[in-house]
Amino acid sequence: MYVYRIMLFLVFGGYLLSPMLMSGWAVPGTAWYRPFVIWGGLIALSVWLEQKRKLDEH
Amino acid sequence: MSTSLTGLLALGVGYLVLLLLCAQAAERGWIPARLLHHPAVYTQALGVYASAWAIYGSVEFAADAGYGYLAYYLGVAGAFLLGPVMLLPIQRMTRTYQLASLADLFVFRFRSRWVGTLITLVTLLAVLPLLALQIQTLGEAVHLLTRAASPSLLALLFCLLIAGLALAFGARHTHQPARHEALIAVIAVESLVKLGAMLTLGGIALYGIFDGPADLQAWLDGPGLITQAQTRQLDSGQWRTLLLLFFAAAFLMPHMFHMVFTETPSRRALLQTSWSLPLFLLLMAVPIPLILWGAQRLGIDTTTPGIAYLAFALSDSPWVDTLVFLAGLAAASGTMILIALSLAGMILNHVVLVAHPPDNRPDLYRWLLWLRRALIVAVILSGWLFYRTIGIKHDLTTLGLAAFVGMAQCLPGMLAVLYWPGANRKGMVSGLAIGCTIWLLGLWLPLLAGYPALVVIPPGLESLEGTPGWYAITLLSLACNILVFILVSLMTRTSEGERAAAEACSVDAVIRPKRHSLAAKNGEDFKRHLAQALGPDVAEREVSTALEALGLSPLDGRPYALRRLRDRLQANLSGLMGPAVARDIVDRFLPYHQDLQATPDIHYVESRLEAYRSRLTGLARELDSLRRHHRRTLAELPVGLCAFGEDRELLMWNSALARLSGIAGESVIGAHCASLPAPWAELLSRMIDTGQPQLYKQAVRIGAELRYLSLHKATLAAHGDERGGTVILVEDHSEMKWLEDELVHAERLASIGRLAAGVAHEIGNPITGISSLAQNLRYDTDDPALLETAAQIQQLTERVSSIVSSLVSFAHSGRHLQGSHVERVDLHQLCEEALHLIRLARSGQDIRYSNRCPSGLEVDGNAQRLVQVLVNLIGNARDACQAGGHVEIDAQPHDDGIHMCVTDDGHGIDAAIRDHLFEPFTTTKAPGQGTGLGLPLVYNIVREHHGHIRIDSPPPDRTHGTRITVWLPRTQQDGEDSDAPDIDR
Repeated sequence: MYVYRIMLFLVFGGYLLSPMLMSGWAVPGTAWYRPFVIWGGLIALSVWLEQKRKLDEH
Repeated sequence: MSTSLTGLLALGVGYLVLLLLCAQAAERGWIPARLLHHPAVYTQALGVYASAWAIYGSVEFAADAGYGYLAYYLGVAGAFLLGPVMLLPIQRMTRTYQLASLADLFVFRFRSRWVGTLITLVTLLAVLPLLALQIQTLGEAVHLLTRAASPSLLALLFCLLIAGLALAFGARHTHQPARHEALIAVIAVESLVKLGAMLTLGGIALYGIFDGPADLQAWLDGPGLITQAQTRQLDSGQWRTLLLLFFAAAFLMPHMFHMVFTETPSRRALLQTSWSLPLFLLLMAVPIPLILWGAQRLGIDTTTPGIAYLAFALSDSPWVDTLVFLAGLAAASGTMILIALSLAGMILNHVVLVAHPPDNRPDLYRWLLWLRRALIVAVILSGWLFYRTIGIKHDLTTLGLAAFVGMAQCLPGMLAVLYWPGANRKGMVSGLAIGCTIWLLGLWLPLLAGYPALVVIPPGLESLEGTPGWYAITLLSLACNILVFILVSLMTRTSEGERAAAEACSVDAVIRPKRHSLAAKNGEDFKRHLAQALGPDVAEREVSTALEALGLSPLDGRPYALRRLRDRLQANLSGLMGPAVARDIVDRFLPYHQDLQATPDIHYVESRLEAYRSRLTGLARELDSLRRHHRRTLAELPVGLCAFGEDRELLMWNSALARLSGIAGESVIGAHCASLPAPWAELLSRMIDTGQPQLYKQAVRIGAELRYLSLHKATLAAHGDERGGTVILVEDHSEMKWLEDELVHAERLASIGRLAAGVAHEIGNPITGISSLAQNLRYDTDDPALLETAAQIQQLTERVSSIVSSLVSFAHSGRHLQGSHVERVDLHQLCEEALHLIRLARSGQDIRYSNRCPSGLEVDGNAQRLVQVLVNLIGNARDACQAGGHVEIDAQPHDDGIHMCVTDDGHGIDAAIRDHLFEPFTTTKAPGQGTGLGLPLVYNIVREHHGHIRIDSPPPDRTHGTRITVWLPRTQQDGEDSDAPDIDR
């Protein structure tokens, strides 16, 4: 259950800070795939938390 | 870009037929169930969220707001990332209470059927623009490809085809399954089609128009820089608002609610979507800017209307057009089918059935099915009508956002369901009404009327001036909604029903269900009562289904079982007709006894805690561990324990008591004390009623055995939140009682032995004197009369001497084996020796004796004493037989010993004295013929050999006669443990 709090923190933190990220994406010279890489990182973190949750529950 | 209309129609119809075949394959089991239930398939099915907006609308939005288009994907991804803390509690609630829609959930929480009607109407109004968006993209895509004159009529054709599919997938049978396998399979296939198409289009843009990622980056940093710089950037407020809207859409939109909560195959599958759906959405989102930049690279003006359909311009190849069309068709049809199915259910349950309750309607299932079908078609056609009314004046973004802002009005209510037990119906309805009014006037009606969004900026919020209409309306409507909701909830009273429902819904629910007793006595009674509302056939079917699901018998009358049956029936009827109608029916026809005071249902609370254990954290988890430890201590107590509530409902029946009684706890927990099986109902009721804290050695027949139980009770008085009741300990004292009886018997024998020894000693000397005097008298006289008298005196003294000898022998029994010679004795030889001695006697010559003891059966013992046993037993058998009678001696191994039986076919033993035969001086023989010491002596010798003896008269396999069975332990073989317990020591 504790792992969910990490995700809660990340999602709400991300929600508040996302405008800053978005303004960064629009800067010329930034790699076009950067938002998707960040998004992929979040998915990888979620997969890791899901594995951890499974271990916790067993 | 002109394609044959016939070809395109054939393509569309062919695709939809393919979906139909896929549904058939799923329904007929051609697709393995393991695959259908796989979390990946469920994730694909959740991809229904990616509607035509994701194919066309996102391109349009990206052209307008750059990376702002990602809000559509990231909002939903955020909701699923929070699945374990947000979606799972809702899913648990919907599963437990069979809530199939948002309206069902709100009705359950706010305890009003009108709330359901209101939510249904809001949902209907909100999804109309979304349906119109799907239909518009279909019509426009066909129009773009074929240049057909009437795209709206073509769109109608597709609407009718999609309605047909919706009927085939979701409304074919009278009984709605809990999960539509075919529907899941079809929506998953549609998601795969649109994902495959979008990735291909992205690939075409990246490698067909650009020369790969590097070339794209170079273009973006070079020639494309000007175009990108012209793209509007969303300000942080708009971006966050969009994220919030799409976050809410993940579980508020009717099709998403249906797919997320009603069609979930398992908790594991829903948890897996926390990363798998964001991954799906990521793959769907990546091609959008590629398509846009590809079109810009080709020099297409991306600022003109119709840019939503840029993908068609990526290539001149008809295959690319086909791909884009199929992606759009897959996205639109999936969304329309699910919206139609879920919204039809909501309208049926919360509008039609509320207006016309189905009181005792014949053929209820068929009536409901046809209503559902009609509503499915009506929903899709109303979407088409809305599209026809508004025309194509509005872009996809405007249409979509109008829908999402409308549904977001239910967000405060939803959050209150989960996190605010203090919220009440009046607050929710007031907030929703004000929020929806602002939304309808500001966004929805302008769609129909064709005028721009009507935004009235209140003083102090001037910063909203000049912002997009959807943004200002969203902020104003939600702010007013939340503010009014909170204020009204705080200022008005919350009903008891709402409070109870709030506790059941709350994430931190404190579950305090009450135990009421029901008017109905068992499942059969339920059928009779429900038949008044549903008709006999439907009532029979519903009650039988619920009984089967709970594994209960129709005649089970346990109050706990009946309450569970009532809950299950309400949940099942809720799935059929919605929670409002279901609750009305159950409350009316399966009422509780209102006159009796309700007590907390501890057993139910415990079963809920067991089910939710893995979700407890921190102190709650520690407390639960403590509770489990205490419960296990009581359950595994080596003494029988049962606990009753104040209403005498059984709350606990531990394992020791289950072993003693032979009754499993699961079969009686929840039963009333008086309805427990015999003899427990009488015994435990007596214990509860008695003023004494103990009942000692109560003789109770359990099965065929007589047992002696001691009961101790503690009465728990109710104090505040602490529940009252009675705890009873049940100790089995049978062994102790038998040992006590044995001890008393042995003590009596020992007393008699000591008495006999004294008597023998005191009588022996005078008798010897009398005998000597009688002998002398014979020598001193020749008088025949005196000689006769002297002879008789001598005979009588011999008899007295014999009795005295027996008394001495009896008195000495019990001490002989200890000091005597113990050897291995062959029972066959022992028996022959005894029979030889018997045959020496003058009497019994006409009796037939059979020694059937097999050779080789040996026991450890004193041969002389064992011969004495056999002589006594065979002698008694002989005396009991008539002339020509038969005495047989048999022996056979049994357990760890040998059974030796002496059986006669004589007159048997009177039942009145059978139980006293082993007591001294008890005899069935005529006076003067028996001393009554033979069998007590036998008993003692057998006990000296650690054996036991039993009398059957008549034996079970005969009509007359007697069988005396002696059990003696077998001779221990070499190497065996010889340290056998000696009970006489």
